[in-house]
Amino acid sequence: MSSEYRYQRGKWMCSSRICVGICSGAIRGRFQHEPRKHRSFCAVGLRVYRLHVILLLISLAGSSLAIEAPVSFIHDVMPHLMKAGCASGNCHAKPEGQNNFKLSVFGYDPKHDYNEIVRDDRGRRLFFAAPEESLLLKKATGDVPHEGGPRIDKKGAVYSMLIAWIKQGAPFAIEGEPKLEAVIVEPREQRYKKSAAQALKVIAKFSNGTTKDVTALTDYLSQDKEMATVDEHGLVKVGTISGEGVVVVRYMGLVDVARITVPADKVLPPELYAKLPVNNEIDRLVHERHQKLGILPSATCTDEEFLRRASIDLIGKLPTAEMAKKFLADTRADKRAKLVDELLEQPNYADHWAVKWGDLIRPNPSRVGVKPVYLLDTWLRDSFRQNKPYSLMVRELLTAQGSTHDYGPVAVFRDKREPADTGGFVSQIFLGVRLECAKCHHHPSEKWTQEDYFQLAAFFGQMKRKGQGISAPISGEPEFWWYGGKGEVTHPITDAVMTPKPPDGPEMPYVEGQDPRVALTDWMASSDNPFFAKAIVNRIWSDFLGRGIVDPVDDIRVSNPPTNAALLDWLAQDFSTNDYDLKHLMRTIVNSRTYQLSSQPNEHNLSDNKNFSRSLKRRLSAEVLLDAVCDITGVRDTFSGLPPNARAVQTWNHKLDSDFLDAFGRPNASQECPCERERKSSVVQALHLMNSNSLQTKLSSSGGKISALAKSDTPEPKLITEIYLTAYNRLPKADELKTSLRFFSTPGATRQTAIEDLAWALINSAEFVFNH
Amino acid sequence: MHKNCNGLGRRDFLQVGFGALGGVAFSDILALRAQAAQARGKASPDQINCILVWLDGGPSHYETFDPKPTAPQDIRGEFKSIPTSVPGVHFCETMPLLAKSFNKFTVVRSICHKDPNHGGGNHYMMTGIPTPVPVGCGAFVSFHPSFGSMVSHERGVRGGLPGYMSMPSASRSGGPNFLGAQHAPFVIGGDPSSKSFRVRDVAIPQDISDGRAMNRNSLRASLDNMKRITDKAAEDPTVGFDQFYQQGMELVTSTTAQAAFDLSKEPEATRKLYGENDFGQRLLLARRLAEVGVSFSVAYWGGWDHHRGIFKTFKDGYAQKLDQGLNGLITDLDQRGMLDSTLVICLGEFGRTPKVNKDAGRDHWPGAMSVLMAGAGIPGGQIVGATDPKGYYAAENIYCPEDFAVSLYTKLGIDPHQILHTNTGRPMQLVNGGKPIKELFA
Repeated sequence: MSSEYRYQRGKWMCSSRICVGICSGAIRGRFQHEPRKHRSFCAVGLRVYRLHVILLLISLAGSSLAIEAPVSFIHDVMPHLMKAGCASGNCHAKPEGQNNFKLSVFGYDPKHDYNEIVRDDRGRRLFFAAPEESLLLKKATGDVPHEGGPRIDKKGAVYSMLIAWIKQGAPFAIEGEPKLEAVIVEPREQRYKKSAAQALKVIAKFSNGTTKDVTALTDYLSQDKEMATVDEHGLVKVGTISGEGVVVVRYMGLVDVARITVPADKVLPPELYAKLPVNNEIDRLVHERHQKLGILPSATCTDEEFLRRASIDLIGKLPTAEMAKKFLADTRADKRAKLVDELLEQPNYADHWAVKWGDLIRPNPSRVGVKPVYLLDTWLRDSFRQNKPYSLMVRELLTAQGSTHDYGPVAVFRDKREPADTGGFVSQIFLGVRLECAKCHHHPSEKWTQEDYFQLAAFFGQMKRKGQGISAPISGEPEFWWYGGKGEVTHPITDAVMTPKPPDGPEMPYVEGQDPRVALTDWMASSDNPFFAKAIVNRIWSDFLGRGIVDPVDDIRVSNPPTNAALLDWLAQDFSTNDYDLKHLMRTIVNSRTYQLSSQPNEHNLSDNKNFSRSLKRRLSAEVLLDAVCDITGVRDTFSGLPPNARAVQTWNHKLDSDFLDAFGRPNASQECPCERERKSSVVQALHLMNSNSLQTKLSSSGGKISALAKSDTPEPKLITEIYLTAYNRLPKADELKTSLRFFSTPGATRQTAIEDLAWALINSAEFVFNH
Repeated sequence: MHKNCNGLGRRDFLQVGFGALGGVAFSDILALRAQAAQARGKASPDQINCILVWLDGGPSHYETFDPKPTAPQDIRGEFKSIPTSVPGVHFCETMPLLAKSFNKFTVVRSICHKDPNHGGGNHYMMTGIPTPVPVGCGAFVSFHPSFGSMVSHERGVRGGLPGYMSMPSASRSGGPNFLGAQHAPFVIGGDPSSKSFRVRDVAIPQDISDGRAMNRNSLRASLDNMKRITDKAAEDPTVGFDQFYQQGMELVTSTTAQAAFDLSKEPEATRKLYGENDFGQRLLLARRLAEVGVSFSVAYWGGWDHHRGIFKTFKDGYAQKLDQGLNGLITDLDQRGMLDSTLVICLGEFGRTPKVNKDAGRDHWPGAMSVLMAGAGIPGGQIVGATDPKGYYAAENIYCPEDFAVSLYTKLGIDPHQILHTNTGRPMQLVNGGKPIKELFA
């Protein structure tokens, strides 16, 4: 790690520039929780970057820029300011600028930037009488102290170009100059051998048909550093694994994507794949992919594993010992599918899925009020209980009107309040697109602009409200929200009135007397919608398989491609043709052999975590784990505001006190949603399961299951079997039975303490804490 | 020595190698502490722990560290000012012990901001970032990682203990936000001055004898048969799970660590020094936690929102408890040679209105506040900045919450301007601007 990263402001400013420039990239995913690696990445990047700036300037100095030719701010000056890092998010593009000099992030507002340079600060940044005395140049070359260090070489072509521009009177644009229309990367799609290298070329296309090589002024970002890396020059170095990756190129707010395919160097014999069991279309599509990548899926999981896995995933509950016995003894060939049908009819289904959706849409109760949040929760549970078609659920939510104290979904509008906030939320949750970046500037790695953002917001631009707003201490009084028939949303920079239009969808102008939100939900539920069905099937897939086909699940974009596009398309298609039936979707997934794979790897899939070739172990979520502990001990926690014996999956907000739920990562109730769950283990979790008094009390409770077992005359081996069936949903193996019997023969042990200790030991094991 | 079924004794667990684990082992913490004590001078920032005393509601600057004896009666209030151990500096008479020990700490009188709401003020002073949207007084909001969460994020687990603890509850904006739940505060509820008090989860439950605990632990190890995929490429999450259990075991079996959680091990005189009440004993526990490697602990004390009867409330115990507790903490740390390696901060979300209101109270006032800071190389006997003669506004050497946040992080060796990434990949500067309060780095 780099010691220069800390404290030496000048230096880290430069290094972190590289990260900032690629804010939604793989760096974030990879290093989010590893600041040290992140920093060392930055430091290396910085060194590489410096070297390349020098090389670039030398090469530019050698070539002769046509200095006499007219120089335009938009065409010539801005790209260099971008590439030099002036307009990065922690330098002059910070919300408050840097040292009174503020540029727009990624140059989304050229007019502002122009005024800032040419007119602002009493015009002292440019000195027309003696261009070389301009503050802009003196700072950028380091002639006067510059916190960001020298950025432009005085002997270089960029410097001469800037001088020429100032001499010409610093024009914003040259009359009749063509507009930048597209950037194209070459090669766009290419197959590579492992460890190959390829220099990318980036061409800018203009409205008059001309093109320009902008390779040197483009920013590059590889989405998956294991697949390939790319340097500031656009030189791609392919890694040592097979698969597909992309490199995003960005020039003046426009992006393109270079696809990199690295086939397996050793393909396995096709017979191997022909022999693999196929339960449904999912398996066929997944195997196709495996074959291409030289991966072989693991074996099918055991019945015991399937029972536990399906029950936890579908309804968030451990199967009972009785269910386990019955299922294991069942000899029907289709018993797995039968089990799935049974599970889907259990009441816990609605609660389990309401918890997941609560994370995504539940506002902070101390902001919108307790009652609206409670009603929203009720609506969610009811929707899952009825198995409402997903499209209908979303329509009800997004077209809600009325009182926050009558109809739960209105709480969402009370929380978001402004059309712009609602738009960002709708896009991330229901379209799986992180449009949020485009609220303030171009999306850094996708085509989305502010126009896209505010056109989506415009669907919510005709909402009216009345009643108490957000107020202290909590919003106790109702607020009313309805479609008011008037209103509009304007672009924050151009002030243009926005016509409603969803991302990649058609414009849908306001029609008098018609709630535009209805048009939006119609568009969502149309069978050829590019996002809606994909976003939800991807989310649900990730809930069952431990990883999205697009991952993260709410980040669908060209530059973050699915690991199996055919699979995602098929699932979305199947979902929409089956009337957006969530249970149908879940049934299809769980019945696939892909879902039913073992978590044990083989030599051909050990390092594969993306292509669903084995089951990925995942920690039980907070509520599910707490309920499981309560089921084993037969003692429930009590939650304020809920009836006695309520299950943790029935808690309707995260403010209800529970050390257990906090330790295992339920979202912080004070935080803004949407919140993805933390699935990591932590020392707090280990300490809580090992030592908490509340667990010990449950184990030893005289009214609990353990006490009942101890008091019974069941022989010890049978007791042990019972505990194993309850906790692990399987029978103990012979050696496990032997070890467990030792609990009973330890000096000083009673039947009660022996069973307590056995249950404690199982609860504190990976086999219990993880779904596998 | 007790032997469990597998023939391993309690102490044997200590010999389980810790080398492969993340974090700093407990024995290392002790070694580092010894080193630091030997060096007696500058502790390395990475070894400095922080104890933050949060007076929720916003303590009055008039009735604590910034009295205005020459202001009109309706501003100066009922209390007199008293001289401190530093000539020329006066505190309110409610703080007699701190006035005497003033040579050990600094008071910053000139931190101010513009958010008069509890929700917003809490957020600003607990994270260093103002709320991006106005929030009400009742709001519990988190838009940014709190100081404690960030410290936990940077330092990880040390000595098998979570890096960030909060007593007896979490503060409003004290959450981790996008850093993730493993950096949420570990909340230690209960009243440490009560006989039955125990720090939750860090020790074997009382009903379980040591022998039984060891026994069931070894059986656990032999029953936990799920195959781990040790190859790193497989990213098997159960491998990390095992590491946390090992850390937890080390904590539970360490006699030194266990003694640290047991306040009854503290000499009676020391317990009295802090005050035999919940707040005092919480500070004492915070010191003991710092000794065993907890990087950041918060002693939260609610009820400082004195809109009415402020003078009576102060007389009725608030002032005395605060004065005694803080003085006890600072004095004790100093006597133990721990002050250099411990950063002590006491503050709330803002100060209080100059004019005493009709209910003999003072209302919210972010224009001025007093922040006490000690340890970690902060000079003693120093007043930083000043308010105007009537105490309305910070008037000299004015500092903003960002400066405070930068100072806090810098003291702990954390780059305050580093870039973090939110869940959606948005880059965020840890602290937006701000410069260290130079007087704290003299």
